[in-house]
Amino acid sequence: MINLVNLVNLANLATVTLSGDFYADIYIYLITALLPLSACLLVVQTNPYHALVIRAVLGAIAALVYAVLGAADVALTEALMGTMLAITLYAVAVHSSMVLRLGVLQTAALIEQEQPPETPVLVKEPRLAALITTLRDLIRKQHLRLELVPYPNRAALQQGLTTQEIHAACAPADVESDAIDCVDPANHSHHNGATSLCQYQIATRLQSLHDILQAELAAVGVDTVVYAVSNLEEQR
Amino acid sequence: MSWILIAMILALLIPIYEACKDENIWQKMLAFASIASKTAMISLFVSVLRDDWMLGAVAVIILSVGNAGLMLLAHVIKRVSQA
Repeated sequence: MINLVNLVNLANLATVTLSGDFYADIYIYLITALLPLSACLLVVQTNPYHALVIRAVLGAIAALVYAVLGAADVALTEALMGTMLAITLYAVAVHSSMVLRLGVLQTAALIEQEQPPETPVLVKEPRLAALITTLRDLIRKQHLRLELVPYPNRAALQQGLTTQEIHAACAPADVESDAIDCVDPANHSHHNGATSLCQYQIATRLQSLHDILQAELAAVGVDTVVYAVSNLEEQR
Repeated sequence: MSWILIAMILALLIPIYEACKDENIWQKMLAFASIASKTAMISLFVSVLRDDWMLGAVAVIILSVGNAGLMLLAHVIKRVSQA
């Protein structure tokens, strides 16, 4: 019986100590609660660049939590490696991967590119420029950006599509197309009667890109996307 | 001293809310700059509170290096938006 009373007293003492510690350390709990909050914010981001910035926020808050919990070395590592280096590397990776490389024919009437090759490609032909502007706006919804890759002739364009240098190729459809070899003759005749943007055809080797472009371009009245499976993928 | 820290944490919630609400990438970057500075200042305050100079040195390094990471990220995002 005496043991039981002692036990109850001990439990009461423990409760009092715990509640006193709780109010003294409430800022630690609040700071720790920020970590799952920012992690949830990171999870719901859809734009990869926005997610990068929120990841940096998560790293800053994680460094604060580690520092407050007494792990100064872990906090320093999180700030230097986890935040700065990881964010920089991820930014480079997202920058180089979220791109649609579109091959175009480099003829004098269509485009011109000044030296050095790093300069942006200038589109001179107005219908191609309109198509590319439309395309750029459409894939911006998917957080992609458009990069034009000029090729001297149709054979080189087809070669670039086959060797996976480019994701899609854009060429005039009214010329007899030997490069993009999967143009359906029925679709071909249909395109000539449609709007002026339909004078060009886009061939892509990626199924998902084909689905996106087909849906989006059909919504604005252009359906010129041809799904071309490259020879390399057929061999697999 | 705990109420000062709680006030600092409440001030930290303002840029977090801004970062999740605003769709503009530069507004998010501004919120990140604010959060990075505020977390480093909270670490400095805790280090003074506990008289822990190792924590203080780490907080100062985080305060100075966080801005360098911000500049790198801003440079990459600026190049992306130009392309």
